[in-house]
Amino acid sequence: MAIATSHAEETHEHGAGPGAMRYWVVWVLLLVGTSLTFALSRVHLPPPFHLLVALAIASGKSMLVVLFFMHLWDHTGATRLIFATSIFFIALLISLVVMDNATRFELTNPGHDGTLQLEPPGPDILTPRGPPEPEPRVDMPSAEQEGRDVPKPPPVPAPAR
Amino acid sequence: MQPEAYVAHHFPNLRQQEHAARLGMWLFLATELLLFGGLFTAYSVYRFLYGPGFAASSEHLSVAAGTINTVVLITSSLTVALAHHFAHRGKGRTAALLLAVTLAFALVFLAIKGWEWSHDFEEGLLPGRFFHAAELTATGAPMFFTLYFILTGLHGLHVLIGMTVLAILMVLCWRGNYDHGYTTPVELGGMYWHLVDLIWIFLYPLLYLV
Repeated sequence: MAIATSHAEETHEHGAGPGAMRYWVVWVLLLVGTSLTFALSRVHLPPPFHLLVALAIASGKSMLVVLFFMHLWDHTGATRLIFATSIFFIALLISLVVMDNATRFELTNPGHDGTLQLEPPGPDILTPRGPPEPEPRVDMPSAEQEGRDVPKPPPVPAPAR
Repeated sequence: MQPEAYVAHHFPNLRQQEHAARLGMWLFLATELLLFGGLFTAYSVYRFLYGPGFAASSEHLSVAAGTINTVVLITSSLTVALAHHFAHRGKGRTAALLLAVTLAFALVFLAIKGWEWSHDFEEGLLPGRFFHAAELTATGAPMFFTLYFILTGLHGLHVLIGMTVLAILMVLCWRGNYDHGYTTPVELGGMYWHLVDLIWIFLYPLLYLV
């Protein structure tokens, strides 16, 4: 019922000109957001914040698009629920999958920067006669360029015994 | 033709029919969001794994082209919103002209995108095992370009679909089909275009401004 009522109000309230004005204001705000994103990317904020700020601005811009261009400001009820639900599940998907990777033992993550420098956490109990010699990585530019299909040889440094 | 003439027999009135159509469109857009959500998840994981590689790869994209395309798409969203606004007030011809402007912006977007892609092809900035750029040796660069081409390619496909929808709406608007108060198709087609804009708003900082 609320949807029907608010739609009637919208039709009524945009009798003459001011309705279009709203779209122009949103457009200006979107342009401001875009230039802000661009300017802040040139400033090079410290690592976690450059992404967070950019995503915050992008979220703000998308809310403007959804609320005013796509009329969710006027249409309450089920349509808002559908949008909010899909956003919720995307946030859940991304955050859980990234958290999974973030909380793994680093060596199990392929190509993670820390992996290459990391010492094994203890004596290698899986290999009977000590760890294998690390293969030379310098002579493998072709594998480097062929994408991540090619698994890297585990660069295990020889433990001092 | 009166707006009531558009009511299908299984709806008691036009308002409920419009509500049902809008709800269905939002459900469809939700599936679109989830489709791109999966790709954004892949992007998040590989950016987490290959952070420096993604940053290095991003610098090989043209920020100017990405920024111009953002402005182009935002402005095209405005013209679509205005087209619905005018169609709603019985000005079908104005709405059709605004949709034509939108299509022109969409062509500009695709032209810039095509220029970017041909530039990437020349430099060997290609997905996965086709990657052969000599200057860029950072770990994770092939994965960045895999995601770049899938994300921008799927988005470009949506631009093409949206252009088709808007072109049909433009002809119908020009003919005066929506001059009598029934503008739901214009609104729903516009919503599809706004979704295309919405996804690009996220692609822009994630791909070009790592």
